[in-house]
Amino acid sequence: MKPKVLLDKIGLWSATAVASIAIMFSMAPMNAKAEFKVPTEVTELGKDTYKKYCSPCHGEEGKGDGPLARSMLPKPRDFSRGAYKFRTTPSGSLPRDEDIYRTISFGVPNSTMIPWDVLTEEQRLSVIPVLKSFSEAFEVRKPDPPVEVGLMVRPTEKCIAEGKKIYEEKLECWKCHGIEGRGDGPSAAEQEDDFGFPIKPFDFTTGKFKGGSTPQEVYLRFTTGLNGTPMPSFAKELTDEERWCLTYYVMSLIKPEETKNK
Amino acid sequence: MSEFQVMRHIFFLSVLCGFLGWCGISSKILSAEQQYTEIEVIDGGNVIGNVKYTDDLAAVGLNLYRDWELSDTSKIPSEKLIFSKINNGIKNVTVSIKDITEGKKKVIPTIHPIIDQQNNIFIPHVVPILTGTTIDILHGDEGMHNIHTRSMKNQPFNLGTTYKQRISKKFDYPEIIRLSCDLHKYAYAWIVVFDNPYFDVTDRNGYFEICDIPPGTYKFQVWHEELGNLEKEVTVHPKETTSIEFVYSQN
Repeated sequence: MKPKVLLDKIGLWSATAVASIAIMFSMAPMNAKAEFKVPTEVTELGKDTYKKYCSPCHGEEGKGDGPLARSMLPKPRDFSRGAYKFRTTPSGSLPRDEDIYRTISFGVPNSTMIPWDVLTEEQRLSVIPVLKSFSEAFEVRKPDPPVEVGLMVRPTEKCIAEGKKIYEEKLECWKCHGIEGRGDGPSAAEQEDDFGFPIKPFDFTTGKFKGGSTPQEVYLRFTTGLNGTPMPSFAKELTDEERWCLTYYVMSLIKPEETKNK
Repeated sequence: MSEFQVMRHIFFLSVLCGFLGWCGISSKILSAEQQYTEIEVIDGGNVIGNVKYTDDLAAVGLNLYRDWELSDTSKIPSEKLIFSKINNGIKNVTVSIKDITEGKKKVIPTIHPIIDQQNNIFIPHVVPILTGTTIDILHGDEGMHNIHTRSMKNQPFNLGTTYKQRISKKFDYPEIIRLSCDLHKYAYAWIVVFDNPYFDVTDRNGYFEICDIPPGTYKFQVWHEELGNLEKEVTVHPKETTSIEFVYSQN
């Protein structure tokens, strides 16, 4: 190869390298923008958004006692204890900002909490510090790191059978959720949440899982538990594989033909 | 004054303000931490006493049974109010000194206190501990249980447990924490966390004892899950044992 041609080629390579690096750097701020930024303190926008859209149910001071709360069951969450049901953090831990944002954006199926995707991203983010300001728990404690979601297991028949065994024998989930998963077990009627309100164990046949209906999200509920409710975490009790099997088993209880009518 | 001197003054002033601010913040932090100072108690006194209820206990209007829907003959007494028929002494009342700022060393037990879930109840029913203590919660039944705590400062937890499982949890802040099993409604216990080592829980006749208190006048406080709080000022004399009595009554 002639030296001139070689030089030309090196020039082309370097130009390509410089261009790709430039593209990478120009992409970086875009990615950073995609990650949401939660205001560190309560803002006017946050206060206004909360007052207009959240306080009718959750109350002006976040105690779950808004004017519309009386007619609701399950009751709107009382934020004063810092107990959030749907999290990626271990049992009892405070939620991460991402967890609160997820619940605001996607809502809670089977309840009166609608997905607030009608609000702008900025509005939804601005509400997070307002919710946290209602509980002194956020001043004393910090959220734990998120739990690890183990390697997903395939939903084989053997795995689902193991899940059934856990549901019926090992953990006796049926005591609250019922043998067919309809939320009508013998202990169902006496369940109440941390705030003293009656709470109905989840009816799996509806398929509208409150924290999200993907296997990963159902798996997370067994791992993290639902703070403020009788639903415990089974992170210490079950192995990773067992939790996946239980996930597939409870998902196998969904009755699509019944769900249509609900 | 030249421009350089003005700049120098401003610089020194800002450094001074920063230092003062830092002192203020650190003293605030220290004052929060230094609520209790450990000293060697040489001529400490002791306080012994009794907690009781004088009036007719039926008048309190409490349901003293676990399973209220059963007939009277089949009812099992609950643990929420246990009293002695000999002297009306009340069991499971915590007694503590509220406003003590210095005293004996805080000793965190290396052998963890145990709460055992047996026959669908928690034993013991009230566990007083010092901040920083770890409690082991055991599962002695063959069936399924869960351990559910409700607390604000100490991280709450709700864990499912099965036979022979042991769960260890540390409690770092003074707080009264209710521990329960959602599968057995009448099964619950209390963990009472204190930030000084002067506390006790009454025995089945309502007696308690708190030792090695530096001489002085203190506010003693008792707490019972149903009957609430009572307070009393007590003067502790050097190397003497003072006897006191707390009486819950309807008035």
